[in-house]
Amino acid sequence: MENDKMITSEIIIQDYSKFVLKPKEEIILQLKDVDKIFLIGCNKCFKEFKQFGEEEKECVELIKMLRENGKKVLGCADIDFLCNRIITEKIIRKRKELNQADCILVNSCGIGVQTIAELTEETIPSKPVFTAADSIPQGGQHCLSLYDEEGIHFRCAACGQCFLGMTAGICPIVNCAKELVNGPCGGAKNGKCEIASAIGQVAGATGKDKDCVWEKIIREYSRKKFIPELFVSPVIRDFNKPSLKTKNVLADLVREKRFEGFYGGVYPLEKKEFTSQKAIKIATEPKQVIIPLLQHAGCPAEPLVKPGDKVFVGQKIGEAKGFISANIHSSISGKVIAVEPHPHPVCPEKILSVIIENDGKNQLAPEVSPKGELDNLSSEEIRKIVYEAGIVGLGGAMFPTQVKLCPPKDKKIDTFILNGAECEPYLTADERVMIEKTEDIIFGMKALMKVLNVEKGYIAIEENKPEAIERMITQITKADYTDSGHNLRNLESREISVICVKTKYPQGAERMLIKRILGREVPPGCLPFDVGVVVNNVSTAVAVAEAIRTGLPLIKRVITITGEKNKDPQNLEVKIGTSFKDLIDFCGGLLDEPSPFPPPQVGREKEKGKGSCQDVRSVEIKMGGPMMGIVQKDFNVPVIKGTTGILVTSPSDIEFTLLRACIKCGRCLDVCPMELNPSNLGLYAEKEEWEKMHLESVMNCIECGSCNYICPSKRSLVEAFKLAKKEICAKLVKNPQSSE
Amino acid sequence: MLITQLKPKEELLSIIHGKRVLTLQCYGCAEVFLPKEEINLFLEELNKSSTLIVKNIISDYLCNYEYTKLRINLWAEELKKSEKIVIFSCGIGVQVVSTILSQVSSIRYQVYPGCDTLYLNGFQGLTPFNFDCAQCGQCFLNYTGGICPLTSCAKSLLNGPCGGAKNGKCEVAGPAGIAMDCGWEKIYKKLETIGRLDILKEVVKLRDYSK
Repeated sequence: MENDKMITSEIIIQDYSKFVLKPKEEIILQLKDVDKIFLIGCNKCFKEFKQFGEEEKECVELIKMLRENGKKVLGCADIDFLCNRIITEKIIRKRKELNQADCILVNSCGIGVQTIAELTEETIPSKPVFTAADSIPQGGQHCLSLYDEEGIHFRCAACGQCFLGMTAGICPIVNCAKELVNGPCGGAKNGKCEIASAIGQVAGATGKDKDCVWEKIIREYSRKKFIPELFVSPVIRDFNKPSLKTKNVLADLVREKRFEGFYGGVYPLEKKEFTSQKAIKIATEPKQVIIPLLQHAGCPAEPLVKPGDKVFVGQKIGEAKGFISANIHSSISGKVIAVEPHPHPVCPEKILSVIIENDGKNQLAPEVSPKGELDNLSSEEIRKIVYEAGIVGLGGAMFPTQVKLCPPKDKKIDTFILNGAECEPYLTADERVMIEKTEDIIFGMKALMKVLNVEKGYIAIEENKPEAIERMITQITKADYTDSGHNLRNLESREISVICVKTKYPQGAERMLIKRILGREVPPGCLPFDVGVVVNNVSTAVAVAEAIRTGLPLIKRVITITGEKNKDPQNLEVKIGTSFKDLIDFCGGLLDEPSPFPPPQVGREKEKGKGSCQDVRSVEIKMGGPMMGIVQKDFNVPVIKGTTGILVTSPSDIEFTLLRACIKCGRCLDVCPMELNPSNLGLYAEKEEWEKMHLESVMNCIECGSCNYICPSKRSLVEAFKLAKKEICAKLVKNPQSSE
Repeated sequence: MLITQLKPKEELLSIIHGKRVLTLQCYGCAEVFLPKEEINLFLEELNKSSTLIVKNIISDYLCNYEYTKLRINLWAEELKKSEKIVIFSCGIGVQVVSTILSQVSSIRYQVYPGCDTLYLNGFQGLTPFNFDCAQCGQCFLNYTGGICPLTSCAKSLLNGPCGGAKNGKCEVAGPAGIAMDCGWEKIYKKLETIGRLDILKEVVKLRDYSK
């Protein structure tokens, strides 16, 4: 009966399940020889949302039934998406009760059962596996196509030989009871299918009437005045399609892609072609710079100047405050006009900034001078230089480099990784830096390795940057065997190698790189220190080299200004503090076409009467790449140390919102590189249940945006997680005990 | 979660040769499988021939009725200029676009699928592994040690091996080019390891094909 309900048209996404419990008698019969049972239930895949800790209704009933029949239920594991083997395996290994059980009873679709059956062979002591459920035939229904507002269903039988071009876009395979492909059978009565109504009579059910699909198709033909090729030359259906060989090859391809290097991840369009071939240009001198005193993770710096002061290039204008902080320097010479709060590209609130008017002389501060040969510098001295120069991670996270260079005493660092993956689409700044400043990178890297006293260094570059890889390899061999004759002699023994990693987002995230290169997994809540690794960005190495060779602190960096809505995308070397607007204008300005369409109104927003004519902008400006970039409302914000690029695109045609329902397809789970459950987290975020999100380890989220990217419902997940993390942090600061 | 393959080029060319064409690619499930490279190569080839590509639109989740309806408005200009519309997506995407077009306009658009959609057992699940589920509606895994006889046996036998396997390889799947292991041998070995060969003596219920 329940089966029938699923197949007929009254499908609501929330209750759509892929399996149904077997009859009670059958379950008891198969369990007649066993006593102690361990139950595993799959609780996602288009099922109703379950609260954390609450046991699933179906499982509760099943346990009750088993106990009534004299069986012992040792434990019950509810796992979201049992078919996801990697996560399932991790959860199962933790359940020690399993060892005492006589058998495992699985309540899931056939794939879940088989996954468990295979796992029992490899990881947990061999136990018989029983299934408590029957899979529900889906008749060509897939994910989003289940249901829509107007009650239209689209199904695909995946026959391997698409006929839709000849049938006016109406599929005869799934809709015709006889699966005819060359016209109606002639048996329809009053436009209704003879087979469907016959079944309806037998079953005594109503609503079984089905329209003859071929009548529909022909009506469509006449409406479009379109004579299909079908009637000129009939097509024969190839029942042999697709061949087993094709299937296996394709399935292998998919699997290979999914598990390449690390778990999860996505493959967004790269779009690096706008700027990847363009050499770095130096941007025009800004007339005025706005230098925020917070350009790093941690505490803001203290201002050292006041309005009216004269400052020079490289002069320290902000003093680091606290352990996790960084110095701030002036990037031009001129007069301080104001020290006041100013909009910031990262922080939503205004941040105290030093505003300096350029006198155009570019006078260097007296303290800027070369720091001498690398050979003669002790590791303590290099650390001091890095600290004084205010160097932070230039990959975007802006973590003070000096902190990374001070690993806790008990942690032995054995490997250094220089991150040149640049996995964000569109951005090419790091790629150009690797091509044009190869020597600086190696110099900086050697300096950093000297500080940490590590033997082994890797430079990781994604394989979509062949030129950078080639340059880097040439440079390394040169540095090791020829140049290093004198000044780098004692660094000779340190070995640097280039690793070419597969292009996959977010390959550039620290954890993913460490996993890919060393096979070490950074446990949740830990830092790369804990597995003996330090990761730095290539641009950071350049900044370190600059600070040692010329003494110039971090006052400029290379960024990419790109996007479809930008006239002339460029890679630019810019001074910190230059405003976004100036740079976009330098690159030819915006390709500004006023949007002819009203902003989309979608989903539940419509019901709530929200989302109509808000800010209609034809462009969206982001700091950073499309995946992790931060949308800017004010174009006068300055470039800061962590600006990797400025992206000018048209806004997404469908707005991302949490108001749209989650369809529980589980894609986000599939792509989350941190192995979290974004789907669950998103549902908690809707209800602002931060506590539960904390329990489901939202703090481990690296905000890579993969879940947002893949979400078919276009829910603004990352935004919600960022908010949740903030709320949880605020709570922890208030009462630290609750962290237990 | 569907897998697609580019249709034979001759078939596509016979439809769109010399016409003004709008191409629409759905990258939503592309993470699963859409032959992006082949499609783009094909489009490049087309560009050189007398076929005019009005625009190549890249979108996602065409199967979502709601989004596609909104987007069709955005594509109105390009749609007007084209004679044929080729959609590179699974069968569902094609059906959705075609339905919406016939709902919202009276212009006779001709929608063609650019891909064939393949049915891959096991891809109903999330992360594709080697498991297949035929969704028969009557799970037999209890009797077979967790190995599905419907999908791992070419003949979908439920009550034991057919006897035609040679050296553990299936006689049916062999000639098709792929040496498939005999599913029933696998089942036997599995049951042997867990010491439940007695299950095989049980009378298996008949398969209900009406499910």
